[in-house]
Parts: sequence; structure tokens; C-alpha cells
Amino acid sequence: MEYKRTILVVDDDPDIVNQVQVMLEASGYKVLTADSSREALEIFNREKPDAIVTDLMMEEMDSGFMLNYHVKKTEHGKKIPVIMMTAAAHVTGYKFDAYTSDEKDWLKCDALLNKPISIEELISKIESFYEVN
Amino acid sequence: MVEDCKGHILVVDDEEALRTAVRRILEMEGFEVKEAHNGSEGISFGTTTEYDLALIDLKMPDRNGIEVLKEIRHTFPNTVCFMATAYASYETAVEATKLGADGYILKPFSPDELINQLNSGIRKRKLLLETERLKKEREESLLEVAFERTRLKTIINSITDGVIVINKKEELAYFNQAALKLLDVTYLPLGIPVTEHFPIEVAQLLSEKFFEVEEQQSSFSIEVEIKPNNELILEATFSPILQADGKLAGVVVVLKNITEFKRLELIKSQFVSMVAHELKAPIAASIGFIDIMRKPELNISQEQQIDFLNRTHGRLQSLLTMVNDLLDISRMELNKVTREIKEVIVEETIAEVAGLFTVELQKKDLTLSLPGPDEKHIIKVDQNEFLRLLTNLVSNAIKYNKEHGTIYITVKADAYYTVISVRDTGIGLRPEDKDRLFSEFFRAKNEFTKNIHGTGLGLSIVKRIIEAYSGKIECQSTYGEGTEFIISFPVIPIEQA
Repeated sequence: MEYKRTILVVDDDPDIVNQVQVMLEASGYKVLTADSSREALEIFNREKPDAIVTDLMMEEMDSGFMLNYHVKKTEHGKKIPVIMMTAAAHVTGYKFDAYTSDEKDWLKCDALLNKPISIEELISKIESFYEVN
Repeated sequence: MVEDCKGHILVVDDEEALRTAVRRILEMEGFEVKEAHNGSEGISFGTTTEYDLALIDLKMPDRNGIEVLKEIRHTFPNTVCFMATAYASYETAVEATKLGADGYILKPFSPDELINQLNSGIRKRKLLLETERLKKEREESLLEVAFERTRLKTIINSITDGVIVINKKEELAYFNQAALKLLDVTYLPLGIPVTEHFPIEVAQLLSEKFFEVEEQQSSFSIEVEIKPNNELILEATFSPILQADGKLAGVVVVLKNITEFKRLELIKSQFVSMVAHELKAPIAASIGFIDIMRKPELNISQEQQIDFLNRTHGRLQSLLTMVNDLLDISRMELNKVTREIKEVIVEETIAEVAGLFTVELQKKDLTLSLPGPDEKHIIKVDQNEFLRLLTNLVSNAIKYNKEHGTIYITVKADAYYTVISVRDTGIGLRPEDKDRLFSEFFRAKNEFTKNIHGTGLGLSIVKRIIEAYSGKIECQSTYGEGTEFIISFPVIPIEQA
């Protein structure tokens, strides 16, 4: 199978990491995994993946955003999609709206997916990012 | 006085013959007469008793009539005073009238003249008394109004809700102390348009809502954030003040501090969000596994399929535990737990719990150190609840222990408490995690705990159980070395159990 892109999958739930990994690999992607935003940032800096799929709430409520913030500050980070997965949709009461430009900076991820995620949707988010850019 | 006879009359004259004649005439007419022999006596009588009328001779050897008049008037201003005088001193009599006498009678006088004069004097007296009564009444009712005002003001200023009254010109007509405090202002001038002195948002709101009240002519409430970040939130209830003809006279605004209420509401909704998130995680993981297995194109090996099925089962099992834990917490919150309190031997329950974990202990090669076989401590609890408590603690001691570690369980008692300690030689807690240990869904996250599953509800339940028995739970822990939970059950005297 031809490996297309390298995707970094980040979640503190090993089951989710495993599932996303299996599905992405079946579609021909190379998968790297991390179970915290700290580890993810290390791997990102070292491996320069083509996309990041990360959970939102890991060590802290906003650790997914934190990871995104640091990734997007780098040169390479600006060129790749960061896709957020969360079980906390708007219905659970968490607010993801951004008002100030500072807040918008925090939320500048490229897509937000609800768990359980659909692999087709995930792949289409990744690929459409590259089609547009 | 006027009531029981025609009138009480004081006759002040030094001429005995005249006094006797006057007394006879007046008594025949139904008056009651008191005689004073001279000026001094006249003053003495006239200032101790209030007579309806005094007939005072102008010329007396000791004190003259005008002195007597002044003294009586000074004490009883409503006693009608007539001066009796001879033609010769007519001028003086006129002078006396100017000084306040109600009239004069020229000596000698006929009985008819005297009676006519006195009757008109009595009429005057009645008028004076009536005036006095009305005046008094008026003063009293004024006092009452003033009192009522002060009382209302005191009441309105004492209530903790803020009250603001706006007149129809949209000017501030009234406010109480609580309103100042709630609106976070130190001073408000009356009679100034509301838009001028209130904080801008409040002013706009008042003005805007004023129109609404005017149109709807009914009460309504809104929430106003006075200080940002939920520091001060008010509920403002606007009600119209209507005139008798139904027109709007103004608006009364009652301000209620609902900050604390909103804070609790927020905590509640955050808790619901957290529960939803925690419940969704195992569901999402389970659906994820099932989705993978439903896709033949993924070519999952049979070995991997079995692994995925087992993991799905595990996630659903933990979901079930979490739902049960939540239901238990909810029952405890609502005080709807039925407890069957009886004497329980602590060591027996510990042995029972140890039996439940045989497999888990072996897996990690853990040693369990139990109390000695002769020890026997009795506490009064619901056995199932106590079992639950110990199970949660021992389960934690296993989960967070290191391989080949030890768990020490000891029981001791003093006069007040039966104390049970569960100590492990595990990974321990970071100091910053200790404070949040008993909160719902809190799970310490670090490199060691990554692969430990749990609901984050176990210790919260333990704490609730022990507190239901008025006991306490303490935690001592050193990061990397181990954790000890010490629970103390108060010793209940026999008669209270």
C-alpha cells in the first residue's frame, strides 16, 4: 500500500487512538500517535506530520486548543490542517465561540469533528485542506 | 364642665353683696358658681381649675382685675374672661379687652344683662373648646402621617431588595439603600432623569423598559449583569404604578440579587456538561470499534476483532458502572438512601472485600496485609454501603499500586472513633491533585495513570458515604511512594443507634 501522508493522532483515550490509526492506515496514511498534547508537540516538531487529529480535552479542558496554538505558531504548522475531535459538542454546554481576535487565535483549528467521528469525514477534511491550499 | 351644668363660673369680687347677688342669679339660671373674695384668691382658684367663664372685678384692693385676667389666661387660655367695672373706669375696661378680656359688664347691671352677657360668653367658650379639639385632632393625625411615613421609609430601607421609583417624566422619584448597593453606585440625586445618573447600561435599560411597562401596563422581570464575569447579577422586576384613572403615574423597579442563584445554576450546568462528556467518551469508543468491525474493506484480523470486542465490552462495562455510581450519588444528594443500620464486624467485611480482588491482586503480584485474626471492631452501618466504601478504597489501592507492591489495611479504635486505614505502596499523588481528589470525575493524570481506567466517581462516593455517618476521610500521600486513606467512623453510644 502506498503511504500518502503522515497523520499525527492525539488522544488520551488509547481506544480512540487505536481506532483512528486502524482506519487511517487502511486508507493508506502513515500514522503517528501521542496520548498528550505535550508528547504530540514533541512528535510534531521532530516528524513534521502532514496533519494533526487531536482530542480537545486531555490533561486540561483546552489542551487540544493549546496544542493547536503552539503548532500554528510554527512555520510548518501554518501549512498543515489541525482537526479537533471532541465528545463535548455545543449541546453539552461548552462554548466554543470566539469573540476577540485573541480568542480567535486560540480556536484557529481547521475543523471540529464530533465523537464518534466518521472516517470519511475525517479524510475529506484532511484532503480538502490540501486541495484548497 | 359645660356638660353637667350650664357652666362653671368663677366670680372674683371683693364686694360680698355683689358676689351673693350674682351667685343667686346665676344659680337660678343653672350655672355653678365659685366665689373668690379678692384678686389673689381669684388667681389661685382660676389657675387650679379650668372654669368655663370668669367674671372679674376690675378694681380690687390687693391685685387688680387685669393681673387676675393675665394669670388665668396664662394657665387656661380657653377660659372666657369678663371684666366687671363701673362707668368711671370704662376706659380701663376697654383697655382690658385689648389685653385679652372677652368682654366687660358695666356696674351696676340688671340680671338680664348679666345673663345675656354670660350666655354669649358660654357660647364663645364652646366655640373655643371645639376649635381646641379640632386643632388637637389635626395635630394628632399629622403626627400619625409623619409616623407612618417614617415607618414606611424605615421598612423600605431595611429590605434587602432594591426599590426604585421612576415618575412618568422618567425621573428618579425614590430609591432605597439596597438599590444603591445593588446598582453599585454611591449616590443618586432625586428628580433627575434616570438616563443621567445611573451606570450607562442600567440607564438605557430603565429607559427602554419604561416604555415597555407603559405599553403593556403589566409587570415583568429581566436579568441584568451589573458587574461583569457573573460578579453581580440582578433580577429587576418592573411594575406600573397606575393612577385612579388608569393612567401611568410611574414605574416601580424591584431589584433582587440573584448572583448566588446564578452561580449555583452554572455549577449545575457545568456538572451536567461534565457528566455528558464522561458518558459520551465510552460510547464514542464503543461505536468506533463497532464501526471498524462493520467495514469488511478494513480487513481486520480475527485476533484484532476479538481484542476490539473485549475492549468494547470493557468500555460498556465501565459506562454501566459510571451510570450506577451517578445514580448512587444522586440518591445520596436527595437523601433518598434507605439504610439498614446494624452492627458490623469491620474485620469480617475487610476479609470479604479482599476475597473479591483475588484475581486483581495476583495479576499485579500485590501483597495484602490484613488485620490480625483476633482483632474485632464493631461499627453500626449499612453493610452494603460499608462494603461499597471499602471496595472503592481497595480497588484504588490496587489500581494505583506498583507491581509487587503491598496494601496495608489496619483497624483501631479509641473512645470516639473507629479508624480504618488503607495504605498502598503505589504511585502516590501530586500535592496539587490532592485538593481535587474527592470531586466528581477527577482523575489524577500523569505518566503512571494513563492506562488506569476509572469513572472518577469512586472517592466522591466514599466521601459521601462516610459523611452520611458523620465520619471523616483523610488522605496522606507522597508522590511516587504511596497513598494512605484514613476513614474514621464516630462511635455511636448504644442508646442512639
